[in-house]
Amino acid sequence: MKEHNILIIGGGPAGMETAYQLKQLGLKPIIIERNDRLGGHLAQWDRLFPTSETAVGLLERLKENTKDIEVKLDSRITNIEKINGTFHVSLSTNKNFEVDAVVVCTGFELFNAERKQEYGYGIYDRVITNAELEDYFKTHDDKRVDEPRRIGFVHCVGSRDVKVNNTYCSKVCCATALKQACEIKDEFPDADVYCFYMDLRMFGKGYEDLYLRAQKDFDIKCVRGRVCEVSENIEGKLVIKAEDTLLGTPMKMTLDLLVLMCGMEKAKGVEEIQKMLNLESNNDGFIENSGSFVGINRTKGKGVFVAGACTSPKTLPDTIAEARSTAMEVFNYLIHNC
Amino acid sequence: MRPTFDPFVIPFVAGMTFVLVYCIIGLIRIIFQLPKEDRRKFGRSLINPKSAWKNFKDLCSDCLFHVKIWKRKPLLGYMHSSIAFGWFMIIVIGHFETIAFSPLKDMQLPFFQKLTSNLYMPIFFRFFSEEASTLSAHIYAFLMDFFLMVIISGIVIAVVKKKKPRKVGLKRVTKFGFTEDMVRISLWTIFPIRFLAEASMANIGGGSFLTKFIGFDLLFGGHYNETLSYILWWAYSIDLAIFMTLLPFSRYMHIPAEALLILLRNAGLKTTEPRKGYAVAEIYSCPSCGLCIDVCPMSEVKENYRNTAVYFIRNIRRGRRRRDVKHKTEICLMCGKCIEVCPLGIESLDIKMAQRKKYYYKVKSNFSYLERLQDYKTTGQQAQSSPLDAHNSKILYFAGCMSHLTPKITLAMTKIFEQANENYEFIDKDGSICCGRPMMLTGKVDEAKALIEKNTEMIKNSGAKRLILSCPICYRVFKEEYNLEGIEILHHTQYINELIENEKISVDRSDKRYVYHDPCELGRAFGVYEEPRNIIDNIGLLTQGKSDKDLAVCCGGSIGSLAMTKEERDDITKNSIKDLTLNHPEEIVTACPLCLKTFARLSPIKVKDIAEIVEENLEINEELGIRN
Repeated sequence: MKEHNILIIGGGPAGMETAYQLKQLGLKPIIIERNDRLGGHLAQWDRLFPTSETAVGLLERLKENTKDIEVKLDSRITNIEKINGTFHVSLSTNKNFEVDAVVVCTGFELFNAERKQEYGYGIYDRVITNAELEDYFKTHDDKRVDEPRRIGFVHCVGSRDVKVNNTYCSKVCCATALKQACEIKDEFPDADVYCFYMDLRMFGKGYEDLYLRAQKDFDIKCVRGRVCEVSENIEGKLVIKAEDTLLGTPMKMTLDLLVLMCGMEKAKGVEEIQKMLNLESNNDGFIENSGSFVGINRTKGKGVFVAGACTSPKTLPDTIAEARSTAMEVFNYLIHNC
Repeated sequence: MRPTFDPFVIPFVAGMTFVLVYCIIGLIRIIFQLPKEDRRKFGRSLINPKSAWKNFKDLCSDCLFHVKIWKRKPLLGYMHSSIAFGWFMIIVIGHFETIAFSPLKDMQLPFFQKLTSNLYMPIFFRFFSEEASTLSAHIYAFLMDFFLMVIISGIVIAVVKKKKPRKVGLKRVTKFGFTEDMVRISLWTIFPIRFLAEASMANIGGGSFLTKFIGFDLLFGGHYNETLSYILWWAYSIDLAIFMTLLPFSRYMHIPAEALLILLRNAGLKTTEPRKGYAVAEIYSCPSCGLCIDVCPMSEVKENYRNTAVYFIRNIRRGRRRRDVKHKTEICLMCGKCIEVCPLGIESLDIKMAQRKKYYYKVKSNFSYLERLQDYKTTGQQAQSSPLDAHNSKILYFAGCMSHLTPKITLAMTKIFEQANENYEFIDKDGSICCGRPMMLTGKVDEAKALIEKNTEMIKNSGAKRLILSCPICYRVFKEEYNLEGIEILHHTQYINELIENEKISVDRSDKRYVYHDPCELGRAFGVYEEPRNIIDNIGLLTQGKSDKDLAVCCGGSIGSLAMTKEERDDITKNSIKDLTLNHPEEIVTACPLCLKTFARLSPIKVKDIAEIVEENLEINEELGIRN
């Protein structure tokens, strides 16, 4: 088989794993990453649910696998043109090359919590996001996390919420919230930690155990009901209003820290790539793939494949599994078509 | 000697008698359906010289000259006033002419015959009269021809309007059934036939430039054909009869109903029952002109044009299709734009509100907490309860539940109060009692009253002199339903504008381009248009949207609608944003937390409350530190 070039758009876990598998199959993948490093959101995370493995461990493993692969950092794609089955790619660094197939691994963006003004993110100091808390766990450098006595987690921020036009579940927030709740309890054993959820979707391997552990070993209090309103009192503490829908009573609580579990949204700037490759969006704003079962790795465009959270919110195991299957699809395509 | 009676007058007399009897019975029914108090009010307003004069003025300007339509669409205004005023003048002048020249005037006739002959004689005067050569006869003939010409010119426009609505500035017109078409055609043909009938025998009956010279001499070539002429007179009478008989069942019922509506409205009456009394006068006054179709936010989606006010009123009037009425009552956003453009000012929202009271919505309201509340502040924390006291500060600030979901507004207001060095009490900083408007809008007036009473008691006892509100929804209910005598109620746009004008706060000016969205409950409901614009003028450049002020388009988020789906709302929101961003503003500014939230979901540019942009551009006086 002759050597084929494959363009991988995005150097997150999906892109890295797809590239690695393609390389194993004897092909020549090229990763284009707009940031100055590989790893995507994974690089910003501290530990991973449900086992609390370090994110660095996984990232190093993925990096190790991709060390022989051509990676172009700080690069954006300015144009892709398909001529006679070959994609002619131009980069922002003025480089041009040709590839036989394209894999879109553009991933996701965290929901901008400022869009839910009632939660007060960007207004009140002590309202932070899941990503910021993760960053705190990594660096322990965030003045807002200052010996909190009472901490609240709000699930489904920007997910399953018609009011922000996102009706889908982001899949990872339930488990992340409980993981972070346990971790913060570990750090501040005297703190009371509350999780405000709509329902807990503990679907994956080990997730339910995490949930039970959080309650039994860490005394995390899970409240079924959404937070509706956040304000600040004179001392600068947060006053939240919520409803406990199991007890059927409204509740009001003073907190030192409120963590918003921001969900996933389509990545910024992905529209340009969609335009170049003629890819459509689905109802949730993510890239539309060819069906929910056997076509998950393919798109409408011939030679254009997808992997990871660019088509819908996904957990890391899902993403890696999908990246591997996409590599297989690309391989089969190249054998039969080129 | 001309005859004084001919059988062809019979259809007309029958039709005329029918319509008169119908209207009189209708009038009596409406008067009896009015609540006792309203009936007394109505009676008094008829006698009172001041309101009688207003009645006269309004009758002339609305029924005859259609001033309101002239203002909106001059061509349509001409069409209406030419037909209405022309017809009126023909009747009046015709009567005077009859009195002066009638062949009956010297005859001694039995009473009944005199009565009926007085009914038909002015209408068919040319048939019974003989040409006179006196100057006054010529003047009469000239005037009659002149107004006939005016009417016919109006009918020409009406025909054009029907065929090509865009030519007269209408996008969509109401669709009608068979009866309505019949009545319309009979109305259109009345005056052309009258012209032909009069022209055909102008050599005998007399006439002026139109009937005699253009009609008889040119059209009929100067020949008098007795049979043709007689047929034309019959046609004229039958045509009138058809029109008169069908009138009560058609939209043309607005002609008599409008006069009654004006009198009732000037007496200060309002709709209390959706199908009785005042509402009936309003419903019958709807001319189905369809001006409300083009402006209704709902008709942006083509299929939804049938939810507009004109179709709602038609459904109510026909009294059938109960499900349609319910749907139209519930889906309405209550933005009030239809009333703004209605040439008759029919308060269709009042009818909808009255109709909503008739429906049963299952709401489990539990107001037991109101009993437990000794005073307002305890809603939040029972421990630190102390009665709301504004005897010193005199100013109360009520943010409302929606503003608590947009804390940027309440924080901006806090900052503004501070910088203006104003001493105020924040009523609902820590929980509140609802203003009652959402309950009112679902027709649950009694429940709303419970909340209103509690709030009123608390505010009155506080000793405040002014009440500042951030939410126009609250503002409306406070203005309309609360009895807070001696307390000035202001929306924060009005208050901030006052602070700027009195130089209590000062703001920096930039070249930032803003566009202002008028919230329905603040703009159309209370005409607060200038204050927000004045504030923005002090901060940046105010650009124009496609339509603003009284024609501003609802944001789509209105709590007025009980039945609209998210998709339907989104279509309205998108359209409203498109209108607002016509001249490429950098930010959309509004004065309602609900509009803000609705727009923010779908707007490509930033959406802010007016208090926020004031706070952003405040010139900070460092001496005034944080009060707390």
